[in-house]
Amino acid sequence: MSGYFRRRLLHAVPVAFGVVTVVFFLLHLMPGDPVEIMLGESAVPALKDELRRELHLDRPVLVQYGEFLAGLPRGDLGTSFRSREPVAREIARRFPATLLLASTSIVVALLVALPLGVLSATRRGTAVDYASGFAAMVSLAIPNFLLGPLLVLVFSIQLGVLPVSGYGTARHLVLPALTLGTGMAALLTRMVRATLLEELGKEYVTAATARGLSRRAAVALHALRNALVPVATVLGLSFGAVLAGSVIAETIFAWPGIGRLLIQAIDARDYPLVQGCVLVIALCTVLVNLLTDLLCARLDPRIRYG
Amino acid sequence: MNRTPLPRLAAFFSLALLAACSQRLPIDEGRLVIALPGTPVSLDPRLATDAYGEQILQMTHAALLRLDAAGNPVPDLASGWESPDPLKYVFTLRSGARFHDGRPLTSADVKFTFDWVLDPANRSPHRAMYRHVRSIDAPDARTVVFRLSEPFAPFLSTMVRGIVPAGSRAGGYAPPAGAGPYRIDDVSPDGAAELSAFDGCLDGPPAIRRVTVKFIPDSNVRFLELRMGSVNFALNGVDPDMLAAAEKTGRLAVEEAAGGNVSYLGFNLRDRALSDPRVRRAIALAIDRDAIVRTIWEERADVVDTILPAGSWARDPDLPKVLPDPFRARRLLDEAGYRDPDGGGPLPRLRLTYKTSQNEVRRRVATVVQEQLRQVGILVEIQSLEWGTFFSDVKKGNFQLYGLTWVGISDPDIYFHAFHSASAPPDGANRGGYANARVDRLTEAARREPSREKRREMYREVQRILARELPVFPLWAGRNLLVRDRRLRGFELTPDESYHAVRDLRIDPPAAGPAPAGTPR
Repeated sequence: MSGYFRRRLLHAVPVAFGVVTVVFFLLHLMPGDPVEIMLGESAVPALKDELRRELHLDRPVLVQYGEFLAGLPRGDLGTSFRSREPVAREIARRFPATLLLASTSIVVALLVALPLGVLSATRRGTAVDYASGFAAMVSLAIPNFLLGPLLVLVFSIQLGVLPVSGYGTARHLVLPALTLGTGMAALLTRMVRATLLEELGKEYVTAATARGLSRRAAVALHALRNALVPVATVLGLSFGAVLAGSVIAETIFAWPGIGRLLIQAIDARDYPLVQGCVLVIALCTVLVNLLTDLLCARLDPRIRYG
Repeated sequence: MNRTPLPRLAAFFSLALLAACSQRLPIDEGRLVIALPGTPVSLDPRLATDAYGEQILQMTHAALLRLDAAGNPVPDLASGWESPDPLKYVFTLRSGARFHDGRPLTSADVKFTFDWVLDPANRSPHRAMYRHVRSIDAPDARTVVFRLSEPFAPFLSTMVRGIVPAGSRAGGYAPPAGAGPYRIDDVSPDGAAELSAFDGCLDGPPAIRRVTVKFIPDSNVRFLELRMGSVNFALNGVDPDMLAAAEKTGRLAVEEAAGGNVSYLGFNLRDRALSDPRVRRAIALAIDRDAIVRTIWEERADVVDTILPAGSWARDPDLPKVLPDPFRARRLLDEAGYRDPDGGGPLPRLRLTYKTSQNEVRRRVATVVQEQLRQVGILVEIQSLEWGTFFSDVKKGNFQLYGLTWVGISDPDIYFHAFHSASAPPDGANRGGYANARVDRLTEAARREPSREKRREMYREVQRILARELPVFPLWAGRNLLVRDRRLRGFELTPDESYHAVRDLRIDPPAAGPAPAGTPR
């Protein structure tokens, strides 16, 4: 297993390399000059040239690319143009907030999806099933930028129980986590329902109940475990979507995370900071998918990596 | 004993709900909460260039002087200044000034601050502003002498930079101490800045003891925070179409005052048609600015005939106002040789392109201008471009017409920058290629002229020439809009969106009797 783990980790290297390369060249193709943005339009040309030299922006793009790659093995992501802080420190300052938000919304999604999915599958065709199906459709159809303000209107303005935006306490976490988690909860609910229904139709479940096991025990002990393998895979894949969605949720709720940092970095054409943010998001996605693969192996011993 | 814990749970939750509902608002705790649309990049006055950074620094870092609403220098740390000759400025510091950490503020700190900005190694974005400064001396603790390499009349308006203690290192999120009415206790990037009153402030401590500045990027969320009372002050932070809703809440008040950011229509004078002043005049006569202000801006802008902000000391109050006159516009086009080819038919007299950014309001303005120009026979094609592309086209002179806004003009020296024939981009902002020998002479002389009265006369003549020749057509200045809690008093709105007056804010006691707007619905 550990050999497999190491090899999969090594797979992250070409992925990161590809992402970094694409982002690097796309950024330099974008119109807009970081030096102009930093200095404002009234700066004198001599000052602009000086700053361009200072930031190494006067060198050929390929040389800049080489310099950037050379720093990566040392964990050196460069220095932010805007704040003059190391990019790694800028990201480290924001990353915990994003991680907290993303993991909470996944927990929220699982807490909703597991019981609701099981209920829908075991009570297929009942009012519970239809209601959960309807709710899932609605949740999937509402985009985050609409859901966020709607939740604020209900819980902050009408009920007055939760703060509108900000960061710091558990109460601040509720609305952004609900915003991010709702869509995923809907997706996972449908997923749990579908895979569980499939498992429930299989012979081993019939056999288990024939041996006298209660239906509840058959579901909980046997069918659910098998149904969770595809669910875990989808969960891992949608982690990337959660990180992408955090850009919107963090902007709406003034959440000091990496998504908002990325937006500001793009606006300022802060090349090193954009590259750093995208690299971290890509690595996270790779790592989470690796972890879900390992989880799948735990859930289903037939899946072996070696 | 209860069989199920349900009733107890319900009781618990309703209590929790009640506790949450009756939570005290910041204003009840005497706390001012300001919403800013963005996070400041730096809170070091030597490095900050963005509006949000500058606005916080106006509360925390005192400067040698400040500019009043008319753009006149008024004392801040300096009690007085004199200029024995145009190359020398002597400032006298007020006694007793201290930094937030208790250290006395002396001339050495002033010298250090500006020397640091001027040192190329520090890469300060403000260095260009002080390129006329040759040396700074501190002969005694309360005297600072600036020597310039050439006369530069706008010099005093550049002395508004906050002073930091000598030896301060450049700090991204750990800003150096200042001597303003508030000290910075804590800044969390993208979160909020916590400020507290500084008792050692020269003008006495401010009335409100604690200020939180929240960075909230979404304008709807800023409005909802205001509505809830968790934010109680937002200057230009709420979209105009939300203002009516804000006023209805009962808790909020809306204040409006003239603003300093002037939108204008730029002409490319290298273009054959637009080089003819009659064509430019015809376009100006075809555009009904009042109608646009009424319909698109909902009256929250003022039509202007100069690019200087309202209240500027150099503004000419007697400029002729351009009133829409399509009939005269057509006659001028006839005179310029752009006759109607088919007498009121579909063929245009003239085709022009109009470049604008992708901002929704600007695009709507462009559409209205397009329709108004069609009325006089000019066919306009609108090109709405991403900001970076648009601005780079404007600077390259790659346009016929463009719409843009001047932001933050504090000195009429802008006329040298924008209309002197030698101020072509990238050095200057004369993007249309305007050249007038008289304007060149006046703007050169005015920036070297020490007398305010003589400068004013020169700039008034420049404004009259520009109003006649119309190298750009000034359109309107957006108004400054303040949404605040009704109980906040004493803030004076200025055209330049200054936050200096936050120190004058006071909180009224809550109104007696039934709460006017305890629960917003």
